[in-house]
Amino acid sequence: MSIEVKDIHFSYGKIKALEGITLDLSQDAIGLLGPNGAGKSTLIRILLGFLYPDKGDGRILDYDIKQQQSFIRKYVGYMPEDDCFIPELDAVSFTSYLGELSGMPRQEAMKRAHEALFYVGLEESRYRKVETYSGGMKQRLKLAQAIVHDPKLMFLDEPTAGLDPQGRNEILELIMDISSKKDIQVLISSHILPDIELTCSYVVILNKGKLATQGEISKLKEIRDLYEIKIKGEAEGFLQKLRNIKCRVEIMEEGLLKVYLPPNQDKQEIFRIAAEKNVQMRHFVKSESSLEDLFAKVVGVD
Amino acid sequence: MTIKEKGYAHWDGELLDKKFPWWPITRYGIKLTFRRKQFKLIFPLSLLPAVFFLAGIYVSERLEDFPFFRRETVEFLQINPSYFKAYLASSFMIFLIVIIVIFCGSGLICDDLKHNALQLYFSRPIKKKDYFFGKTAVIVFFLFILTLIPGLVFFIMKLVFSGSFKFFVSYPWLPLSIIGYSVVVTAFFSFFTLFLSSLSKNRRYVTILIFGTYILSDILYSIFYDIFNNHYFSLLSLRANLQQVGAVFFSQKTPYPIHWIYSLLVLSGICVLAGFVLKKKVKGVEIVK
Repeated sequence: MSIEVKDIHFSYGKIKALEGITLDLSQDAIGLLGPNGAGKSTLIRILLGFLYPDKGDGRILDYDIKQQQSFIRKYVGYMPEDDCFIPELDAVSFTSYLGELSGMPRQEAMKRAHEALFYVGLEESRYRKVETYSGGMKQRLKLAQAIVHDPKLMFLDEPTAGLDPQGRNEILELIMDISSKKDIQVLISSHILPDIELTCSYVVILNKGKLATQGEISKLKEIRDLYEIKIKGEAEGFLQKLRNIKCRVEIMEEGLLKVYLPPNQDKQEIFRIAAEKNVQMRHFVKSESSLEDLFAKVVGVD
Repeated sequence: MTIKEKGYAHWDGELLDKKFPWWPITRYGIKLTFRRKQFKLIFPLSLLPAVFFLAGIYVSERLEDFPFFRRETVEFLQINPSYFKAYLASSFMIFLIVIIVIFCGSGLICDDLKHNALQLYFSRPIKKKDYFFGKTAVIVFFLFILTLIPGLVFFIMKLVFSGSFKFFVSYPWLPLSIIGYSVVVTAFFSFFTLFLSSLSKNRRYVTILIFGTYILSDILYSIFYDIFNNHYFSLLSLRANLQQVGAVFFSQKTPYPIHWIYSLLVLSGICVLAGFVLKKKVKGVEIVK
């Protein structure tokens, strides 16, 4: 397995950032989701060896995360979330410099830097100083430096942050190309759920430092007990009764109700309540849940 | 943009376990320093004193060709350890060193902090010690050009111009003194500069800090000496401490009537403090609590 962590705990002082995270991931493209403060970046930093876990073990590409960080960093590409570069260098020098630091011979690093910049679409501006780059160009440059040494695994932290729709599509296209055809495994941490849905087949959702859920996106969507309902009659009592049995109800446009049924609750219960409250059921279908629905459910936000 | 037709291609080379992983950091540091316009002007000028002292060594062997020289000049041109000390540990040379480290060292860490570059370094197989070594080597490179290399060249040229080994026989320890003092001065200024460079994200502030600390330490010494008439206040001055240690290396009388070991302790203390702060400040990730 490429990413294998067991019972990882980490705290920033008194604040618990990660609690008992256990993962075993070998899929091509993995999405790491979670609200702000869920522990996504902390997990990536632990996987890279920037932070040392308080408890737990792990292996990345079969190297120990506590003992063999240098080996991990050699074969992993990292695209940080923050705007980061080395000033006064042009893009080619910047990319080749980081290639050299990864262990590439100097000439090879320079040659490969040109290729990487060509690949991300910066060939025209590769001799410009990096501080003169726009936000979108910096984002592509960060991707170029992450692939320059041909990593086996890539950690992409918010790769589309701050990009306009076109720039976002371009970056996502590149990520999909890398992960689907180039036998490079990609772990993408993002807030933007459609990005994850588009690029990843597997998702890990963290919430408040804990593992909320993980699995194939298609399967996670399937097993959701989400129904779309339209009713006629007194809605208030009906909705209250549903909430009493721990159903989460979202009121959509045109009187459409989305009802999340809790585990171990039978859908017949909805009909029973409708009958009890004298409400006509006009529409009842099992909804095709989106990743957003899934995220909202496991994280517990609307 | 669509994905280029060529697409992503794997690299068929092998990543190496480099013997000196810090070397690219040093090479780029030196390259970027030489790109600065002011540095291109100042650095050659900073080598002028070395040229004058070298000329002095030549003249000292040909005094009969320069009968117009006054007695004081001739006395100065007696080539002995004091002559070497006059070059390496003079106030002017220490001032020049400060100017050079401002150009080559002020941005070394502060620029990385400003542009969040530390995570780029530490996401590579680079250890903290490699990072520090790479950055330190940039300062070492420039300061050795200013101190160690001229010092050794003076010694060799003295032997060449005199055409005998008499000077070497008289002062066989002198090359070691030159090496020793150059290493101490360079090590001190490397720690001092990197320490101050890690305190701010603004290179201008770091420049002011380096220059200000050097000047202020001297001013404080002067003020306290004037008030209390006590030479122990020379320990406040970076220049005075370096000159005290320099005098010992060249077997000369110390310029201040206090034991040189105190100066060495002050300089070592600053280096230890700098090392401690650097270890705390330079991290792969900045933790926002």
